[in-house]
Amino acid sequence: MFKEKNIWNKAEGKTTPEMKYIIEKPPKGDRVKRFLEIFAVILKHSNYRPILEQYVKISAKCSRCSVACHIYQVTQDPKDIPCYRSELLLRIYRRYFSLEGSIYGRLFGGYELKEEDIDEMAESFWKCTACRKCVLECPMGIDHGLLTHLARYIMAEMDLVPRALLISTREQLEGKTRNTSAIPWIGMADSIEFLEEEIKEMHGVDVKFPIDVEGAEYMFITPVSDWLMEAESLMGIACAMSAGGVNWTMSSKVNDAINYGLFYSDAILKRNLLVIAEEFKRLKCKKILMGECGHATRSAWFMPTYWEGGNPPEIVHCIELTHKLIKEGKIKLDPNVVTERVTYHDPCNIARQSRIIEQPREILKSFCKDFVEMTPNRSENYCCGGGGGTVSIDEIRKYRTSVGGRRKAQQIIDTGAHWVVAPCANCKKQFRELMEDNKVDGELVGLHDLILKAIIFDK
Amino acid sequence: MPLFEWKNVKIQVDEDGFMENPEEWNEEVALALASTEDVAELTEEHWKLINYLRDYFQQYGIAPMIRKLCKETGFPLKKVYELFPSGPAKGACKVAGLAKPTGCV
Repeated sequence: MFKEKNIWNKAEGKTTPEMKYIIEKPPKGDRVKRFLEIFAVILKHSNYRPILEQYVKISAKCSRCSVACHIYQVTQDPKDIPCYRSELLLRIYRRYFSLEGSIYGRLFGGYELKEEDIDEMAESFWKCTACRKCVLECPMGIDHGLLTHLARYIMAEMDLVPRALLISTREQLEGKTRNTSAIPWIGMADSIEFLEEEIKEMHGVDVKFPIDVEGAEYMFITPVSDWLMEAESLMGIACAMSAGGVNWTMSSKVNDAINYGLFYSDAILKRNLLVIAEEFKRLKCKKILMGECGHATRSAWFMPTYWEGGNPPEIVHCIELTHKLIKEGKIKLDPNVVTERVTYHDPCNIARQSRIIEQPREILKSFCKDFVEMTPNRSENYCCGGGGGTVSIDEIRKYRTSVGGRRKAQQIIDTGAHWVVAPCANCKKQFRELMEDNKVDGELVGLHDLILKAIIFDK
Repeated sequence: MPLFEWKNVKIQVDEDGFMENPEEWNEEVALALASTEDVAELTEEHWKLINYLRDYFQQYGIAPMIRKLCKETGFPLKKVYELFPSGPAKGACKVAGLAKPTGCV
């Protein structure tokens, strides 16, 4: 069963592939001035200042974070150490926006922001996958992922942002289809009908994806890419909801939970959440049910920040709900269907804060014959290598699969698992490319893909 | 936006070689686009896949779900990869003249 294979050291001595993404309209003119202006405006209208004020004082640059970083472990380049990267932004805050730094700088000179520093940030902050594993290691509690987010936010406001994310977000907020993959509703409706027929063929039951049902308990929303890529995950979720007797609905108008704002812009994060909030109110639902996605779920957990009027709705991840339904005995799973070895990847955005950790394990162990852990796991897991929005940037695939994901690829190999479960749309895309490019055996699935196989319907 | 030329074909493509104006697609364009993929020649099986994608796209404005593509053409996913080594989204859809997929695809 266990295969000896090591890709971890295989690439030693090889040069690191470039991490170069396409920018739609590269900013011209005085970029230094523009960067500082935008930074000042964001500081004025946000809560970043007290955090940065603290960070510039406590950052010890001790590099303990290096042991956690899946990028640094491969490149061994000091510039990839999280606290080195964070310092790129902190030194700007210290010099231009902190009281001591700006007085000292004016009197005695010191660090000055230069054009090439902006180029370095544009590269460095997109090498980071914002997985926040380094946060666990920092003795001073610095959230390097937050600094990556802020630096990207400032740069995005001056158009220094990967085009792949920009055009997807534009279609989602302003396009005809209002979703990142530009799927017209007729296309999605056809897919829904197809999946319902597939479930009927597989299990002989009528399972529906309810559409626009006012007053349903749950409004379901998932990354729209699932409607192209993840048929089995969606079928599994629909089967679980149906068997569990859940009153749920999808919206025909707002059907994309992707929120790239989490990766590069608080303004976009807010706009996307308000679109969901408005539709949720229109449908008069009680809770929001998230599909298998890490970043979309973590984005939705920001709903209370932007919610207007009354209490914000509870955000429930589909794994949390399925887990509850299994515990209540409402969903029955056949323990003789999934016999091959199974392993579970913790998507950073739902696992780092230990929110969704044991539920998926309890579900898998309840019906899979041979479950093994990756090491490390749970909140200490490694990123898939495509986090922080980088998975959507196709032109850096080589970087993602040979640098960003190499640690993860070795982890998968070491488990010897056939079914590799990764309940997150970002992770799923990255895993497929990672396993293909590194020739890793096994099959990538969502958690509900296995539920679809094993679920037993009372007829 | 780069101009891609192959024999008599002249089309606008994006950086990854996907068509910018899918309505300009014809069979010759398919041959031209296939020359950029790792596809030696377009066999009957290739055309079956391409025509299915093309018809679906014209009706629904998007590519079909991968599961549906496999089911309707009768090709398992492995076979799709054999026909178009860069896969259904990046290979087959490209030759069928669909726009490059965006978002998490």
